[in-house]
Amino acid sequence: MFSVASRFFRQRSLVEEAAQEVFLKAYTQLGSFEGRGSLEGWLTRIATNTCLNMLRGSKRRPEMTVSDLTEEEDQWLEHQRSDAEAKSVENSVVAADLADRLLSVLSPEDQQALLMIDGEQASIKEVAEATGWSESKVKVRAFRARKKIREAMERLLGSKREVMSR
Amino acid sequence: MNDKHITELLDNTPLASLSPGDREQIRSHADMCEPCRDAFAAAQLSAAVIKERAQLVTEPSPFFQTRVMAAWREQQATESGPALWRLWKSARALVSSMALTTAALAALSFMVSAPATTSVLDQTAAAPSAESVILGQDNDDQLTYEQVLNTIYVDEEDK
Repeated sequence: MFSVASRFFRQRSLVEEAAQEVFLKAYTQLGSFEGRGSLEGWLTRIATNTCLNMLRGSKRRPEMTVSDLTEEEDQWLEHQRSDAEAKSVENSVVAADLADRLLSVLSPEDQQALLMIDGEQASIKEVAEATGWSESKVKVRAFRARKKIREAMERLLGSKREVMSR
Repeated sequence: MNDKHITELLDNTPLASLSPGDREQIRSHADMCEPCRDAFAAAQLSAAVIKERAQLVTEPSPFFQTRVMAAWREQQATESGPALWRLWKSARALVSSMALTTAALAALSFMVSAPATTSVLDQTAAAPSAESVILGQDNDDQLTYEQVLNTIYVDEEDK
């Protein structure tokens, strides 16, 4: 439950709020569980839909520009380009922050598809089961999200190069 | 083969899931095509940040269970109010019709029994009181002293 909610939210209070709502929903809707799939799958779907509903009201942020980069994020990008293997807890947090800001231009559904497939190495089928979407819809969402994020990163790196060359 | 741009390949599949053949194709093309080289670098960085983001999982706080139980109790309490309201809504028509019928019956019985009640009251007023019956003070039956004497004398004279 917490791993699903953590996919959507970074703030502990929001993760707990989502998890709490999932627990309450699961308890009240337990009678509707027909036992056709696994209980875990059923709970995952409730958790996913709850988080998506919570996020639907939130506004998408405008695309990140190079001026939005923090010093740590800037250093992380440089570091990653020169040595992709370097890794530390601090770096992971900086990278996660950067990811959040890049992902915030996407719809919650596209974020979900990308984080599950590219981040957690989930299969298309697993995402379809967790969300209730068709497999082709999952593929389309993942493709669209990956393209958007790559292009945003490309623009970010391009403007960073421009700033460096001045 | 190397002339084909690789952006679609980059967007179609997660980098980690690319086949060795696809990787080779991307590398060899990126070496000779600058836009695709930038796209590949951006794809690698995007994949890296997304992987880091996906690994972040918030653990529940020690008070989480207490919080959920409190929320559950609150939900139960708020649900009991609407449950009574729902019960009233479903039974309202029945209760209203029953109340109306009872009122109609009461009014009807009052109207029908009203004259009877009056006659009973009249009878009660006309009837001798319990005291008069017990003490023999009924006015109709009570003879005056003179009447009694007359009766005695008349009887004796007749004899």
